[in-house]
Amino acid sequence: MGFHMFEPCTDVACNNIFAWLNQGPLTLTIVLHTILILPMFWIYFSEKKKLGK
Amino acid sequence: MLSKTAHLSPSKQLAMNYFRVAIVLFGAQLLFGLLAGLQFLFPDFLYNVLDFSVNRMLHINALVVWMLYAMLGSVYLMLPDETGIDHPVAIGLGKLAFWVLTAAVTVVVLVYLFIQIGPGKESTIWFINEGREYLEAPRWADFGIVVVVLIFYANVFFTYMKGKKTGIMTVMVADLLALAGLYLAGMFYTDNISVDQYWWWWVIHLWVEATWEVFVGTLAAYGLIKVLNAKREIVEMWLWIEVLMLFGSGILGLGHHYFWIGTPEYWWEIGALFSALEPVPLVAMFVHVLYDWGKEQGHVQAEGKRTAIKNGPAIAWISINAFGNFLGAGIWGFFHTLPQVNIYTHGTQFTASHGHLAFFGAYATILIGMMYLGIQESYGIERMKATFKSKMAIVLITFGVVGMTVALTIAGYEQVLVERAELGAGWQAYFTAQNLPWYIQAQVWREIMGVVTFVGFVYLLWDLLTIGKKEAAAE
Amino acid sequence: MAKNNASVWTSIRFWRRSAAWVTGVAVVLLIFLTFDTMSQIRMGTDKELEQGIKRRIPAPTVINHHIDYKYDEKRGMEVPVIGKKEPFFGKEWSPKEARALLHLGKLTVQAKNCMDCHTLLGNGAYYAPDLTKAWLDPMWEKTMPAMTGKKTKEEAMAEFLMHPGQYRTHARAMPNLKITPKEAMGVVAFLKHMSSIDTNGFPRGFSKVIKEGKTGGTYAK
Ligand code: HEC
Ligand code: HEM
Ligand code: HEM
Ligand SMILES: [Fe+2]
Repeated sequence: MGFHMFEPCTDVACNNIFAWLNQGPLTLTIVLHTILILPMFWIYFSEKKKLGK
Repeated sequence: MLSKTAHLSPSKQLAMNYFRVAIVLFGAQLLFGLLAGLQFLFPDFLYNVLDFSVNRMLHINALVVWMLYAMLGSVYLMLPDETGIDHPVAIGLGKLAFWVLTAAVTVVVLVYLFIQIGPGKESTIWFINEGREYLEAPRWADFGIVVVVLIFYANVFFTYMKGKKTGIMTVMVADLLALAGLYLAGMFYTDNISVDQYWWWWVIHLWVEATWEVFVGTLAAYGLIKVLNAKREIVEMWLWIEVLMLFGSGILGLGHHYFWIGTPEYWWEIGALFSALEPVPLVAMFVHVLYDWGKEQGHVQAEGKRTAIKNGPAIAWISINAFGNFLGAGIWGFFHTLPQVNIYTHGTQFTASHGHLAFFGAYATILIGMMYLGIQESYGIERMKATFKSKMAIVLITFGVVGMTVALTIAGYEQVLVERAELGAGWQAYFTAQNLPWYIQAQVWREIMGVVTFVGFVYLLWDLLTIGKKEAAAE
Repeated sequence: MAKNNASVWTSIRFWRRSAAWVTGVAVVLLIFLTFDTMSQIRMGTDKELEQGIKRRIPAPTVINHHIDYKYDEKRGMEVPVIGKKEPFFGKEWSPKEARALLHLGKLTVQAKNCMDCHTLLGNGAYYAPDLTKAWLDPMWEKTMPAMTGKKTKEEAMAEFLMHPGQYRTHARAMPNLKITPKEAMGVVAFLKHMSSIDTNGFPRGFSKVIKEGKTGGTYAK
């Protein structure tokens, strides 16, 4: 079966961060989603602290 | 809609002017749509006179322009309520801008109709037609639009700065800046078709799936307060959640247009996952409207009154918007947003089916609702009930558009399976699918449902012209 | 709203800050992606084409080459294959001439509003066939040159574009768009160039069935 969760980049150009991250199972999109969502935890706790006062 | 605006604040008078032009252009949109649809069935109809491309261009340009008019009208309608200022800072200039814009639109339409195309030179791009779907307006008109929008924006912005600053208006002012700024991305020429379409989508997608959606969120928030007395804190909290989710998914969801236009493969992942999340805020918006309606209804019933609704047709259109947005953009959009599906559906009648239900469900509906709000105020009506004509308009237009969408979805399936999956696209493959009996039947149904929509529009126009007087007299 | 015992989940401030954060970062990410994509989709140079360096959008001089669209095992899709040199309208076009011709073609495509009947790269209208790979369509191999009485593909295309009403192959015909001979050459160059763009395998299986001589399709004639 010619199927792998990790595929080496076969795009026309591979010398960039996005193509590089694109080689694993949804790794690129998960990274981008994480960058967006993760800091919301910090915002949450900072608001919680303010509300507690 | 015709008279009775003298006592309104200047801002709201201007709003009614914008609504008047909008509804005329909506009618024009439908007429040219019917002509274009007819050409699918009778290809020689108006051949070399008013070709499909011309009818389609007028159809979709009238669509975008009437929506922009109704959007400007809606902003001028809510401005006094949200800022507490009746006289926007430069209302005189605002009025002038309205007339300049209307004159420019008239010239552009006449040129589309009677000159249609030009030689392959820069001058054509400047004066006749830019030839880029939705953005066909010639360059001179682009600059005119920029000037008019700057005047409009200055009016809104400085009035906002001077008055009280509600959450709704804060979102509106920020969103309008992004919306106007994006237009610039569609205002240049390049020989490189991939670069061309890359920026073209910045305007189209980042309008309808980001900035326009947030705009609709603010309109719904404003409308719910107006029509149902919904509590501002709750409405505004929802609005921020919607902004978060709409921009969070919609901005990078842009990637679903970068699968096949020459752009790198990494857009598959980005476009797929972010755009797959775009329906989430649309569900939230739907829940929000129904929740507020139910809650406020409960409150007034507890007080022994019959209904919380102060404007029947408006709440009906706002509810159809909530559901239509979810259905047309959310469901029909999701259908074809993954690259695994889109490689086959890209650029087929399937796209057209989604385009119709989404534009109707997400935008036409709520903007019509805003027009009813404007009429209610024009006539100083306390409680405006839906008339028989309002109901006919709602039923026929909604049924017609849903019918067209279903017909086009069936046509799309046929085309996708036969032209794309079975035959692999190409000239002959294309016509093999176009000539399938079931495909042709679907095109016939689209036209029939288009006529139903148009009859509904006639009721709508008639209602908008008469409901104010009738309901004012009834009170 | 910020009452002492209120939950963060009902705090407007929390949602406003989160909305601002998410929107801001999404915009920044989009800008980064745009820079990278722009560098990948700029038109290649003539030198890159000469040296066989693959670009997603090759130089305009690609019109001097044979173009094919072949299945690539590694990428699992069809990709454009730029082959040996072949004359285009009977000659080899210098970089400057090729660029000017493509410029004229693209301008004409916009001036005549092809996109409100056809799709280009799959975007546009659905009244007529997708033009992304029109240059490679089997109809242009023998049928159309024979019909228009022209020897080469490019001449047949130019002739068709100037007088589409005369060469109807279906009830739904293309109208006369007053395309001049010069403009027609430009448009054909544009179409040939577009067929060399790497579209990540769209359209999939392009005209495979027809090329293999199988008619296929339940109702296909
Ligand atoms: C009013 C609609 C319309 C416009 C505008 C239009 N076309 Fe067409 N075109 C058609 C139709 C319909 C056909 C199919 C004709 C047939 O099969 O007989 C067609 C066929 C073609 C074909 C052959 C199909 C193929 O896959 O190779 C090409 C090439 C083409 N058009 C290019 C263009 C270009 C370039 C422009 C703009 C300069 C253009 N068309 C503008 C309607 C249009
Ligand atoms: C109100 C919001 C929306 C409107 C008005 C809208 C409208 C449209 C229109 C008009 C097109 C066709 C563009 C063209 O002419 O080429 C289109 C394409 C598309 N839309 Fe939407 N859309 C909306 C929301 C969404 C959402 C939420 C999704 C995904 C979940 C989505 C997915 C798509 C996709 C994938 C395409 C490309 C179709 C193709 O490849 O041909 N849309 N949209
Ligand atoms: C009288 C009813 C209507 C008819 C007969 C009609 C017909 C058409 C036709 C024939 C096209 C061209 C499709 C193609 O290229 O194959 C089209 C495109 C379009 N119409 Fe309509 N239409 C009608 C109403 C509407 C309404 C009410 C809306 C939205 C509010 C709308 C929005 C659009 C959009 C967005 C497109 C472009 C779609 C795309 O590119 O994917 N139309 N219409
Ligand atoms: Fe989109």
